[in-house]
Amino acid sequence: MITIQSLTKSFGKQEVLKSIDLQVQKGEVVVILGPSGSGKTTLLRCLNFLERPDGGKVSIGDLQVNCKKPSKQEIYDLRKKTAMVFQHYNLFKHKTVLENVMEGLVIVQKQSKLKAREKSVQVLEKVGLAEKLNAYPSQLSGGQQQRVGIARALALEPEVILFDEPTSALDPELVGEVLSVIRKIAKEGITMIVVTHEMNFAMDVSNHVIFMDGGVIVEEGTPTEIFRTPKEERTRQFLKRITPELTYDI
Amino acid sequence: MTLLITAVSLIGGFIIGMIVALVRIYRVPFLRGLGAAYVTVIRGTPMLMHLFLIYFGLPVAIDSFCGFVGIHFSSTSIPILYFVFIAFSITAGAYSGEVIRSGILAVDRGQVEAAHSVGMSSVQTFRRIILPQALSVSLLNISSEVIGMLHGSTLAYTVSIREINAQANIVASSNWKFFEAYIAAALLFWGITLLIERVTAFLEKKMNTYNRGGVA
Repeated sequence: MITIQSLTKSFGKQEVLKSIDLQVQKGEVVVILGPSGSGKTTLLRCLNFLERPDGGKVSIGDLQVNCKKPSKQEIYDLRKKTAMVFQHYNLFKHKTVLENVMEGLVIVQKQSKLKAREKSVQVLEKVGLAEKLNAYPSQLSGGQQQRVGIARALALEPEVILFDEPTSALDPELVGEVLSVIRKIAKEGITMIVVTHEMNFAMDVSNHVIFMDGGVIVEEGTPTEIFRTPKEERTRQFLKRITPELTYDI
Repeated sequence: MTLLITAVSLIGGFIIGMIVALVRIYRVPFLRGLGAAYVTVIRGTPMLMHLFLIYFGLPVAIDSFCGFVGIHFSSTSIPILYFVFIAFSITAGAYSGEVIRSGILAVDRGQVEAAHSVGMSSVQTFRRIILPQALSVSLLNISSEVIGMLHGSTLAYTVSIREINAQANIVASSNWKFFEAYIAAALLFWGITLLIERVTAFLEKKMNTYNRGGVA
């Protein structure tokens, strides 16, 4: 279980997160929606301290971190419990597909190379890239690169995988292959927090939707609650702008 | 002799440069300012000056220090060559520092974030992710620096070290064939330079394969 308590973050004078409280159950697929600048990505990045929160508490599993003055060890421990899939993939450019996935297993988790290799191949098969083990990221399409990114996160067997707009940088025709991989692993019961603009995906994969605006959580609930019967005016306006076709659906 | 001077000062310079680049990039308080000052002072003065300052200044400093603490040691027992090594290492350090720093800065911030996200520490991230990419980016600059130091090492003849240039001078002053002697020396330098360029091209092909869609 993940608990976030009164998390705050400012960039200079700009308050990006204004005391966020959130609970995520084990196995939940959480989707965070909201207009740009609402703090969704910052919230995600605060969970593994790629962005340093100013205050509040984050706990993942049995580890609780006070964000005011976390020790280096606490940050490392938190990062070991999480994995992230980036908008721009961020694969290690000088390493092959297989090496990208193995890196964390060997260097961080200190697994033997043999065991790490076995696990990596298995995960890469799952994302459909078994034939590309020895390719470099520059030889792959965006969709393939992002699937490697997902495999790299999945292999670590973290408590939660954080997805930061995983399809935003992709050509429209490549979005599908990445979404279907995410869908597949969502069914396996891995806890995921996803920042995305893919509304259809949010509707059928998630079981917990959060709508953020201006650094606060405006509304949260099940996908049906948020998409069909939003209570807040701001949520309604946002959904209307993003998915005009939904109005006919009802 | 030329090759020895070049190699030692480059290795010394690389170590100094790495330290300077790291304290500047990771913003180590105080050392960071010291590193910046070192780079600007050394790059702002000629290499020959460094050699003279070390060659004439350091022995005086050593002797007066030894006299002060009361150790019986005279700087005349130190071979001149060592002073050349020290002086040229200091020179090369400033230039290497900037080459390494530019290489590290060229590495995409996302690479570091990805490494952190899988749980790597700063040291692991630097060694496994940043450094290999930085080195392959700076390969051409490093090669230019190697060639620069190779040719710069001729300055050692001013403090009576017999490197290629001095050797040519000695030969010429016995048989009066100055032109021939210097042409021979020049050809030697060019030959070594060609070799360095070849090695660079080979390494570039090898190290940058990942950037070119796997086609070398």
